Amino acid sequence: MNGYGFRHAARMERIKLRSVRSTWWLAIAAVVSMAAAGAGVGLGYRSHTPVATAAQILNNSLGGAIVAQLLLGALGVLVVTGEYGTGMIRSTFAAVPRRRIVLAAKVAVCGGAALTVGLVASFAGYLSGQLAIRGTAIPAASLGDPAILRAVVLTGVYLGATALIGVGIGTIVRHSGAAIGTLFGLMFVPMIAAGLFGESGIAVGRFVPLLMLLNSIAVTSPIPGLFAGWISVLLMCGYAAVAILCGGVLLRYRDS
Amino acid sequence: MIELRELTKRYGDRVAVDGLSVRVQPGVVTGFLGPNGSGKSTTMRMILGLDAPDHGQALIGGVRYPDLSWPLKTVGALLDAGAFHPGRSARAHLAALAASNDIPGPRVEQVLRIVGLSDAATRRAGTYSLGMRQRLGVAVALLGDPGVLLLDEPVNGLDPEGIRWIRDLLRGLAAEGRTVFVSSHLIAEMALTADRLVVIGRGRLLVETTVAELAAGDDSLEDAFFRLTSQATDYRGVGAS
Repeated sequence: MNGYGFRHAARMERIKLRSVRSTWWLAIAAVVSMAAAGAGVGLGYRSHTPVATAAQILNNSLGGAIVAQLLLGALGVLVVTGEYGTGMIRSTFAAVPRRRIVLAAKVAVCGGAALTVGLVASFAGYLSGQLAIRGTAIPAASLGDPAILRAVVLTGVYLGATALIGVGIGTIVRHSGAAIGTLFGLMFVPMIAAGLFGESGIAVGRFVPLLMLLNSIAVTSPIPGLFAGWISVLLMCGYAAVAILCGGVLLRYRDS
Repeated sequence: MIELRELTKRYGDRVAVDGLSVRVQPGVVTGFLGPNGSGKSTTMRMILGLDAPDHGQALIGGVRYPDLSWPLKTVGALLDAGAFHPGRSARAHLAALAASNDIPGPRVEQVLRIVGLSDAATRRAGTYSLGMRQRLGVAVALLGDPGVLLLDEPVNGLDPEGIRWIRDLLRGLAAEGRTVFVSSHLIAEMALTADRLVVIGRGRLLVETTVAELAAGDDSLEDAFFRLTSQATDYRGVGAS
Protein backbone atom coordinates (compact mmCIF):
# COMPACT_ATOMS: atom_id res chain seq x y z
CA MET A 1 0.00 0.00 0.00
CA ASN A 2 1.33 3.29 -1.15
CA GLY A 3 0.08 5.72 1.43
CA TYR A 4 -3.31 7.09 2.34
CA GLY A 5 -5.80 8.30 -0.22
CA PHE A 6 -9.35 9.43 -0.73
CA ARG A 7 -10.74 6.06 0.40
CA HIS A 8 -9.12 6.36 3.83
CA ALA A 9 -10.18 9.95 4.28
CA ALA A 10 -13.73 9.04 3.30
CA ARG A 11 -13.81 6.30 5.94
CA MET A 12 -12.61 8.80 8.52
CA GLU A 13 -15.26 11.32 7.49
CA ARG A 14 -18.01 8.72 7.64
CA ILE A 15 -17.11 7.80 11.21
CA LYS A 16 -16.91 11.49 12.13
CA LEU A 17 -20.28 12.32 10.59
CA ARG A 18 -22.07 9.45 12.31
CA SER A 19 -20.51 10.01 15.71
CA VAL A 20 -21.84 13.47 16.56
CA ARG A 21 -25.41 14.01 17.67
CA SER A 22 -25.97 17.17 15.65
CA THR A 23 -25.90 15.09 12.44
CA TRP A 24 -28.79 12.94 13.62
CA TRP A 25 -30.81 15.81 15.05
CA LEU A 26 -30.51 17.87 11.88
CA ALA A 27 -31.38 14.88 9.68
CA ILE A 28 -34.40 13.95 11.78
CA ALA A 29 -35.54 17.56 11.96
CA ALA A 30 -35.29 17.88 8.16
CA VAL A 31 -37.48 14.82 7.61
CA VAL A 32 -39.95 15.80 10.33
CA SER A 33 -40.29 19.38 9.07
CA MET A 34 -41.13 18.20 5.57
CA ALA A 35 -43.52 15.54 6.82
CA ALA A 36 -45.25 18.08 9.07
CA ALA A 37 -45.56 20.64 6.29
CA GLY A 38 -47.00 17.97 3.99
CA ALA A 39 -49.54 16.84 6.55
CA GLY A 40 -50.47 20.43 7.42
CA VAL A 41 -51.09 21.31 3.78
CA GLY A 42 -53.16 18.16 3.21
CA LEU A 43 -55.29 18.76 6.29
CA GLY A 44 -55.76 22.42 5.38
CA TYR A 45 -57.05 21.59 1.92
CA ARG A 46 -59.47 18.88 3.09
CA SER A 47 -62.42 21.21 3.49
CA HIS A 48 -61.21 23.77 0.97
CA THR A 49 -63.53 24.94 -1.81
CA PRO A 50 -63.12 24.70 -4.67
CA VAL A 51 -61.65 21.22 -4.41
CA ALA A 52 -57.85 21.35 -4.70
CA THR A 53 -56.03 19.84 -7.65
CA ALA A 54 -53.41 17.11 -7.36
CA ALA A 55 -50.74 19.64 -8.43
CA GLN A 56 -51.79 22.13 -5.75
CA ILE A 57 -51.45 19.51 -3.04
CA LEU A 58 -48.10 18.30 -4.30
CA ASN A 59 -46.59 21.76 -4.79
CA ASN A 60 -47.61 22.90 -1.36
CA SER A 61 -46.83 19.69 0.48
CA LEU A 62 -43.19 19.98 -0.58
CA GLY A 63 -43.05 23.45 1.00
CA GLY A 64 -41.32 22.08 4.10
CA ALA A 65 -38.19 22.08 1.96
CA ILE A 66 -37.81 25.77 2.88
CA VAL A 67 -37.00 24.66 6.43
CA ALA A 68 -35.27 21.42 5.47
CA GLN A 69 -32.79 23.26 3.23
CA LEU A 70 -31.68 25.39 6.16
CA LEU A 71 -31.25 22.33 8.39
CA LEU A 72 -29.28 20.36 5.81
CA GLY A 73 -27.33 23.47 4.82
CA ALA A 74 -26.37 23.85 8.47
CA LEU A 75 -25.36 20.17 8.50
CA GLY A 76 -22.99 20.82 5.60
CA VAL A 77 -21.55 23.91 7.30
CA LEU A 78 -20.99 22.09 10.59
CA VAL A 79 -19.14 19.22 8.92
CA VAL A 80 -16.37 21.77 8.32
CA THR A 81 -16.77 24.55 10.90
CA GLY A 82 -17.44 22.05 13.69
CA GLU A 83 -13.80 21.07 13.25
CA TYR A 84 -12.40 24.59 13.13
CA GLY A 85 -14.41 25.67 16.15
CA THR A 86 -13.18 22.81 18.33
CA GLY A 87 -9.56 22.29 17.25
CA MET A 88 -10.46 18.95 15.68
CA ILE A 89 -9.23 20.32 12.36
CA ARG A 90 -5.62 20.07 13.56
CA SER A 91 -6.07 16.36 14.34
CA THR A 92 -7.65 15.88 10.93
CA PHE A 93 -4.93 17.69 8.98
CA ALA A 94 -2.19 15.99 10.99
CA ALA A 95 -3.71 12.64 9.97
CA VAL A 96 -4.34 13.66 6.35
CA PRO A 97 -2.03 16.57 5.52
CA ARG A 98 -3.15 16.71 1.88
CA ARG A 99 -6.08 18.93 2.74
CA ARG A 100 -7.94 18.72 -0.53
CA ILE A 101 -8.34 15.00 0.03
CA VAL A 102 -10.08 15.87 3.30
CA LEU A 103 -12.35 18.35 1.52
CA ALA A 104 -13.14 15.84 -1.24
CA ALA A 105 -13.97 13.20 1.37
CA LYS A 106 -16.23 15.64 3.24
CA VAL A 107 -18.02 16.53 0.01
CA ALA A 108 -18.56 12.87 -0.88
CA VAL A 109 -19.63 11.71 2.58
CA CYS A 110 -21.74 14.71 3.57
CA GLY A 111 -23.15 15.06 0.05
CA GLY A 112 -24.16 11.41 -0.01
CA ALA A 113 -25.73 11.57 3.43
CA ALA A 114 -27.57 14.83 2.72
CA LEU A 115 -28.85 13.51 -0.62
CA THR A 116 -30.22 10.42 1.13
CA VAL A 117 -31.83 12.45 3.90
CA GLY A 118 -33.11 14.98 1.35
CA LEU A 119 -34.80 12.27 -0.70
CA VAL A 120 -36.31 10.67 2.40
CA ALA A 121 -37.55 14.08 3.58
CA SER A 122 -39.01 14.90 0.19
CA PHE A 123 -40.86 11.59 -0.03
CA ALA A 124 -42.04 12.10 3.54
CA GLY A 125 -43.49 15.48 2.55
CA TYR A 126 -45.23 13.99 -0.45
CA LEU A 127 -46.54 10.97 1.45
CA SER A 128 -47.91 12.81 4.43
CA GLY A 129 -49.61 15.27 2.09
CA GLN A 130 -51.27 12.38 0.29
CA LEU A 131 -52.23 10.60 3.51
CA ALA A 132 -53.82 13.77 4.86
CA ILE A 133 -56.20 14.11 1.91
CA ARG A 134 -57.37 10.50 1.90
CA GLY A 135 -61.09 10.09 1.83
CA THR A 136 -61.72 13.50 0.23
CA ALA A 137 -62.64 14.45 -3.31
CA ILE A 138 -59.12 15.76 -3.93
CA PRO A 139 -57.44 13.61 -6.58
CA ALA A 140 -54.40 11.65 -5.42
CA ALA A 141 -51.02 12.44 -6.98
CA SER A 142 -49.36 9.22 -8.10
CA LEU A 143 -45.62 8.76 -8.22
CA GLY A 144 -46.33 6.90 -11.45
CA ASP A 145 -46.93 10.34 -12.96
CA PRO A 146 -43.51 11.52 -14.23
CA ALA A 147 -44.21 15.15 -13.33
CA ILE A 148 -44.97 14.19 -9.72
CA LEU A 149 -42.02 11.84 -9.36
CA ARG A 150 -39.69 14.42 -10.89
CA ALA A 151 -40.75 17.13 -8.45
CA VAL A 152 -40.28 14.85 -5.44
CA VAL A 153 -36.87 13.54 -6.56
CA LEU A 154 -35.52 16.92 -7.64
CA THR A 155 -36.52 18.42 -4.30
CA GLY A 156 -34.41 15.75 -2.60
CA VAL A 157 -31.47 16.51 -4.87
CA TYR A 158 -31.89 20.24 -4.23
CA LEU A 159 -31.60 19.56 -0.50
CA GLY A 160 -28.43 17.53 -1.04
CA ALA A 161 -26.94 20.37 -3.11
CA THR A 162 -27.79 22.84 -0.35
CA ALA A 163 -25.72 20.81 2.12
CA LEU A 164 -22.78 20.94 -0.31
CA ILE A 165 -23.12 24.72 -0.62
CA GLY A 166 -22.89 24.63 3.19
CA VAL A 167 -19.67 22.59 3.03
CA GLY A 168 -18.20 25.13 0.59
CA ILE A 169 -19.20 28.17 2.64
CA GLY A 170 -18.00 26.46 5.82
CA THR A 171 -14.59 25.88 4.24
CA ILE A 172 -14.36 29.51 3.16
CA VAL A 173 -15.67 31.15 6.34
CA ARG A 174 -14.52 28.54 8.95
CA HIS A 175 -16.69 29.96 11.76
CA SER A 176 -19.98 28.17 12.47
CA GLY A 177 -22.13 31.21 13.23
CA ALA A 178 -20.74 33.34 10.43
CA ALA A 179 -20.98 30.50 7.91
CA ILE A 180 -24.58 29.59 8.81
CA GLY A 181 -25.49 33.28 8.72
CA THR A 182 -23.87 33.62 5.29
CA LEU A 183 -25.72 30.55 4.02
CA PHE A 184 -29.11 31.77 5.28
CA GLY A 185 -28.41 35.21 3.86
CA LEU A 186 -27.60 33.75 0.45
CA MET A 187 -30.84 31.77 0.56
CA PHE A 188 -33.18 34.63 1.44
CA VAL A 189 -31.65 37.99 0.49
CA PRO A 190 -31.49 37.37 -3.28
CA MET A 191 -35.16 36.38 -3.24
CA ILE A 192 -36.15 39.62 -1.55
CA ALA A 193 -33.89 41.54 -3.92
CA ALA A 194 -35.43 39.86 -6.97
CA GLY A 195 -38.87 40.76 -5.64
CA LEU A 196 -37.97 44.47 -5.75
CA PHE A 197 -37.75 44.34 -9.55
CA GLY A 198 -41.37 43.27 -9.85
CA GLU A 199 -42.25 41.58 -13.13
CA SER A 200 -38.77 41.90 -14.63
CA GLY A 201 -37.33 40.33 -11.47
CA ILE A 202 -37.97 36.91 -12.94
CA ALA A 203 -34.96 37.28 -15.25
CA VAL A 204 -32.83 37.34 -12.11
CA GLY A 205 -35.18 35.30 -9.97
CA ARG A 206 -34.73 32.15 -11.99
CA PHE A 207 -31.16 32.01 -10.68
CA VAL A 208 -32.17 32.45 -7.03
CA PRO A 209 -32.19 29.21 -4.97
CA LEU A 210 -35.40 29.66 -3.01
CA LEU A 211 -37.35 30.90 -6.04
CA MET A 212 -36.08 27.95 -8.03
CA LEU A 213 -37.19 25.60 -5.27
CA LEU A 214 -40.69 27.01 -4.94
CA ASN A 215 -41.43 27.70 -8.58
CA SER A 216 -39.40 25.30 -10.65
CA ILE A 217 -38.11 22.33 -8.64
CA ALA A 218 -40.76 21.37 -6.10
CA VAL A 219 -43.68 21.88 -8.50
CA THR A 220 -45.31 19.75 -11.17
CA SER A 221 -44.78 22.39 -13.86
CA PRO A 222 -42.46 25.40 -13.50
CA ILE A 223 -43.84 28.92 -13.58
CA PRO A 224 -43.26 30.51 -17.01
CA GLY A 225 -39.92 32.34 -17.16
CA LEU A 226 -38.16 29.93 -14.81
CA PHE A 227 -35.88 27.12 -15.89
CA ALA A 228 -37.02 23.52 -16.04
CA GLY A 229 -36.64 21.75 -12.70
CA TRP A 230 -33.58 19.74 -13.64
CA ILE A 231 -31.77 22.83 -14.94
CA SER A 232 -32.50 24.61 -11.66
CA VAL A 233 -31.07 21.65 -9.75
CA LEU A 234 -27.98 21.65 -11.95
CA LEU A 235 -27.58 25.37 -11.20
CA MET A 236 -27.67 24.55 -7.48
CA CYS A 237 -24.99 21.90 -7.98
CA GLY A 238 -22.99 24.51 -9.91
CA TYR A 239 -23.24 26.96 -6.98
CA ALA A 240 -22.06 24.17 -4.68
CA ALA A 241 -19.11 23.39 -6.98
CA VAL A 242 -18.06 27.06 -7.05
CA ALA A 243 -18.24 27.37 -3.26
CA ILE A 244 -16.28 24.13 -2.76
CA LEU A 245 -13.61 25.10 -5.31
CA CYS A 246 -13.14 28.50 -3.63
CA GLY A 247 -12.84 26.72 -0.29
CA GLY A 248 -10.33 24.28 -1.77
CA VAL A 249 -8.12 27.09 -3.06
CA LEU A 250 -8.18 28.91 0.30
CA LEU A 251 -7.54 25.67 2.19
CA ARG A 252 -4.19 25.32 0.54
CA TYR A 253 -2.80 28.68 1.57
CA ARG A 254 -4.16 29.09 5.06
CA ASP A 255 -2.55 28.04 8.31
CA SER A 256 -4.75 26.00 10.55
CA MET B 1 14.99 12.09 13.46
CA ILE B 2 13.56 15.59 13.19
CA GLU B 3 15.59 18.20 11.39
CA LEU B 4 14.73 21.89 11.36
CA ARG B 5 16.57 24.00 8.81
CA GLU B 6 16.45 27.77 9.32
CA LEU B 7 12.77 27.47 10.12
CA THR B 8 11.14 30.91 10.10
CA LYS B 9 7.59 32.09 10.66
CA ARG B 10 6.26 35.64 10.71
CA TYR B 11 2.82 36.83 11.73
CA GLY B 12 2.59 40.29 10.23
CA ASP B 13 5.79 42.04 11.33
CA ARG B 14 6.19 39.88 14.44
CA VAL B 15 8.70 37.07 14.00
CA ALA B 16 7.45 34.01 15.89
CA VAL B 17 10.23 31.63 14.86
CA ASP B 18 13.48 33.05 13.57
CA GLY B 19 15.93 30.91 11.59
CA LEU B 20 15.67 27.91 13.90
CA SER B 21 18.02 25.04 13.00
CA VAL B 22 17.93 22.00 15.25
CA ARG B 23 18.39 18.24 14.91
CA VAL B 24 16.39 16.08 17.28
CA GLN B 25 17.98 12.65 17.67
CA PRO B 26 16.29 9.31 18.24
CA GLY B 27 16.77 7.26 21.39
CA VAL B 28 16.58 10.14 23.85
CA VAL B 29 13.91 12.48 25.14
CA THR B 30 14.62 15.99 23.88
CA GLY B 31 13.05 18.79 25.87
CA PHE B 32 11.98 21.92 24.00
CA LEU B 33 12.13 24.77 26.47
CA GLY B 34 11.30 28.42 26.30
CA PRO B 35 9.20 31.08 27.99
CA ASN B 36 5.57 31.65 27.00
CA GLY B 37 5.34 33.03 23.47
CA SER B 38 8.85 31.93 22.51
CA GLY B 39 7.66 30.02 19.44
CA LYS B 40 7.51 26.44 20.71
CA SER B 41 3.97 25.73 19.58
CA THR B 42 4.46 27.50 16.26
CA THR B 43 7.52 25.33 15.64
CA MET B 44 5.53 22.20 16.47
CA ARG B 45 2.73 23.26 14.11
CA MET B 46 5.22 23.87 11.31
CA ILE B 47 6.75 20.41 11.81
CA LEU B 48 3.24 18.98 11.34
CA GLY B 49 2.54 21.03 8.24
CA LEU B 50 -0.33 22.88 9.93
CA ASP B 51 1.40 26.25 9.54
CA ALA B 52 3.50 26.96 6.47
CA PRO B 53 7.01 28.31 7.22
CA ASP B 54 7.96 31.60 5.58
CA HIS B 55 11.47 30.29 5.15
CA GLY B 56 13.37 27.08 5.78
CA GLN B 57 11.90 23.65 6.30
CA ALA B 58 11.13 20.96 8.83
CA LEU B 59 11.98 17.38 7.87
CA ILE B 60 11.10 14.08 9.49
CA GLY B 61 13.56 11.39 8.46
CA GLY B 62 14.41 13.64 5.50
CA VAL B 63 10.78 14.05 4.37
CA ARG B 64 8.43 17.03 4.70
CA TYR B 65 5.39 16.15 6.78
CA PRO B 66 2.85 16.65 3.95
CA ASP B 67 4.80 14.18 1.82
CA LEU B 68 4.60 11.33 4.35
CA SER B 69 2.74 8.25 3.10
CA TRP B 70 1.25 7.38 6.49
CA PRO B 71 1.59 10.45 8.73
CA LEU B 72 0.17 8.88 11.89
CA LYS B 73 2.36 5.80 11.55
CA THR B 74 5.42 8.04 11.24
CA VAL B 75 4.77 10.92 13.64
CA GLY B 76 2.52 10.96 16.67
CA ALA B 77 1.59 14.39 17.93
CA LEU B 78 -0.10 15.89 20.96
CA LEU B 79 -0.59 19.52 20.01
CA ASP B 80 -3.10 20.67 22.54
CA ALA B 81 -5.59 18.96 24.77
CA GLY B 82 -8.53 20.24 22.75
CA ALA B 83 -7.92 18.89 19.28
CA PHE B 84 -11.14 16.87 19.23
CA HIS B 85 -14.86 17.46 18.78
CA PRO B 86 -16.44 17.64 22.26
CA GLY B 87 -19.56 15.85 21.11
CA ARG B 88 -17.71 12.77 19.93
CA SER B 89 -16.68 9.87 22.16
CA ALA B 90 -12.99 9.11 22.65
CA ARG B 91 -13.48 5.79 20.91
CA ALA B 92 -15.11 7.32 17.82
CA HIS B 93 -12.44 10.06 17.72
CA LEU B 94 -9.67 7.47 17.71
CA ALA B 95 -11.53 5.19 15.28
CA ALA B 96 -11.92 8.03 12.77
CA LEU B 97 -8.24 8.95 12.92
CA ALA B 98 -7.24 5.27 12.74
CA ALA B 99 -9.34 4.82 9.59
CA SER B 100 -7.57 7.73 7.89
CA ASN B 101 -4.20 5.96 8.12
CA ASP B 102 -5.41 2.38 7.72
CA ILE B 103 -4.60 1.54 11.35
CA PRO B 104 -6.43 -1.66 12.43
CA GLY B 105 -9.39 -1.26 14.78
CA PRO B 106 -7.98 -3.26 17.74
CA ARG B 107 -5.23 -0.65 18.07
CA VAL B 108 -7.88 1.82 19.24
CA GLU B 109 -8.73 -0.37 22.24
CA GLN B 110 -5.03 -0.90 22.87
CA VAL B 111 -4.18 2.82 23.12
CA LEU B 112 -7.30 3.43 25.21
CA ARG B 113 -5.93 0.85 27.66
CA ILE B 114 -2.42 2.34 27.58
CA VAL B 115 -3.69 5.80 28.55
CA GLY B 116 -6.27 4.44 30.99
CA LEU B 117 -9.41 5.68 29.24
CA SER B 118 -11.02 2.31 28.44
CA ASP B 119 -13.82 2.81 30.96
CA ALA B 120 -14.57 6.32 29.72
CA ALA B 121 -14.24 5.52 26.01
CA THR B 122 -17.94 5.88 25.20
CA ARG B 123 -18.32 9.19 27.00
CA ARG B 124 -18.39 12.36 24.97
CA ALA B 125 -14.90 13.83 25.10
CA GLY B 126 -16.30 17.25 25.99
CA THR B 127 -17.20 15.89 29.44
CA TYR B 128 -13.57 14.97 30.18
CA SER B 129 -11.39 16.69 32.74
CA LEU B 130 -8.24 18.41 31.49
CA GLY B 131 -6.17 15.44 32.59
CA MET B 132 -8.38 13.03 30.66
CA ARG B 133 -8.17 15.26 27.59
CA GLN B 134 -4.40 15.11 27.77
CA ARG B 135 -4.60 11.34 27.98
CA LEU B 136 -6.85 11.25 24.91
CA GLY B 137 -4.27 13.41 23.11
CA VAL B 138 -1.53 10.98 24.12
CA ALA B 139 -3.68 8.09 22.84
CA VAL B 140 -3.92 9.84 19.45
CA ALA B 141 -0.14 10.31 19.40
CA LEU B 142 0.43 6.62 20.12
CA LEU B 143 -2.26 5.40 17.71
CA GLY B 144 0.01 4.68 14.74
CA ASP B 145 2.88 3.31 16.84
CA PRO B 146 5.09 6.04 15.34
CA GLY B 147 8.87 6.34 15.48
CA VAL B 148 8.68 10.07 16.14
CA LEU B 149 6.64 11.69 18.91
CA LEU B 150 5.93 15.40 19.26
CA LEU B 151 4.23 16.55 22.42
CA ASP B 152 3.36 20.14 23.17
CA GLU B 153 3.08 20.71 26.93
CA PRO B 154 1.86 17.18 27.70
CA VAL B 155 1.89 17.56 31.49
CA ASN B 156 -0.50 20.54 31.50
CA GLY B 157 -3.45 19.68 33.68
CA LEU B 158 -2.15 16.31 34.81
CA ASP B 159 -2.09 15.37 38.48
CA PRO B 160 1.19 14.18 40.08
CA GLU B 161 0.37 10.57 39.28
CA GLY B 162 -0.35 11.53 35.66
CA ILE B 163 2.87 13.53 35.43
CA ARG B 164 4.89 10.57 36.58
CA TRP B 165 2.99 8.32 34.18
CA ILE B 166 3.79 10.52 31.19
CA ARG B 167 7.40 10.83 32.27
CA ASP B 168 7.83 7.06 32.41
CA LEU B 169 5.94 6.64 29.14
CA LEU B 170 8.14 9.11 27.28
CA ARG B 171 11.37 7.69 28.66
CA GLY B 172 10.20 4.19 27.74
CA LEU B 173 9.38 5.29 24.18
CA ALA B 174 12.80 6.90 23.79
CA ALA B 175 14.48 3.79 25.18
CA GLU B 176 12.84 1.83 22.35
CA GLY B 177 14.81 4.01 19.94
CA ARG B 178 12.09 6.52 19.10
CA THR B 179 12.58 10.24 18.64
CA VAL B 180 10.73 12.06 21.43
CA PHE B 181 10.42 15.86 21.29
CA VAL B 182 8.56 17.42 24.22
CA SER B 183 7.92 21.11 24.74
CA SER B 184 7.48 22.65 28.14
CA HIS B 185 8.02 25.85 30.02
CA LEU B 186 8.62 23.90 33.22
CA ILE B 187 12.35 23.48 33.61
CA ALA B 188 12.02 21.32 36.73
CA GLU B 189 9.78 18.85 34.93
CA MET B 190 12.06 18.75 31.90
CA ALA B 191 15.06 18.06 34.14
CA LEU B 192 13.37 14.84 35.23
CA THR B 193 12.07 13.75 31.83
CA ALA B 194 14.53 14.91 29.18
CA ASP B 195 18.11 13.98 28.38
CA ARG B 196 18.79 16.70 25.85
CA LEU B 197 17.46 20.25 25.90
CA VAL B 198 16.75 22.73 23.12
CA VAL B 199 16.16 26.16 24.62
CA ILE B 200 14.61 28.96 22.55
CA GLY B 201 13.58 32.52 23.26
CA ARG B 202 11.78 34.93 20.93
CA GLY B 203 11.90 32.29 18.24
CA ARG B 204 15.68 31.97 18.25
CA LEU B 205 17.80 29.07 19.37
CA LEU B 206 19.50 30.02 22.63
CA VAL B 207 21.31 26.80 23.40
CA GLU B 208 21.37 23.08 22.67
CA THR B 209 22.61 21.21 25.69
CA THR B 210 22.04 18.26 27.96
CA VAL B 211 20.37 18.32 31.32
CA ALA B 212 23.65 17.08 32.83
CA GLU B 213 25.63 19.99 31.37
CA LEU B 214 23.11 22.56 32.46
CA ALA B 215 23.03 21.12 35.97
CA ALA B 216 26.82 21.12 36.19
CA GLY B 217 26.96 24.94 36.52
CA ASP B 218 27.08 26.78 39.84
CA ASP B 219 23.45 27.80 39.97
CA SER B 220 20.27 25.75 40.10
CA LEU B 221 18.62 24.53 36.90
CA GLU B 222 15.97 27.17 37.32
CA ASP B 223 18.53 29.95 37.64
CA ALA B 224 20.41 28.59 34.64
CA PHE B 225 17.18 28.68 32.64
CA PHE B 226 16.46 32.28 33.68
CA ARG B 227 20.01 33.29 32.82
CA LEU B 228 19.58 31.79 29.35
CA THR B 229 16.22 33.36 28.67
CA SER B 230 16.60 36.67 30.50
CA GLN B 231 17.19 38.61 27.29
CA ALA B 232 14.46 36.80 25.42
CA THR B 233 11.29 37.06 27.48
CA ASP B 234 8.39 39.02 26.05
CA TYR B 235 6.17 39.31 29.08
CA ARG B 236 7.43 39.80 32.60
CA GLY B 237 5.61 40.81 35.73
CA VAL B 238 7.05 42.84 38.61
CA GLY B 239 6.56 42.54 42.36
CA ALA B 240 3.13 43.56 43.56
CA SER B 241 4.26 45.78 46.42
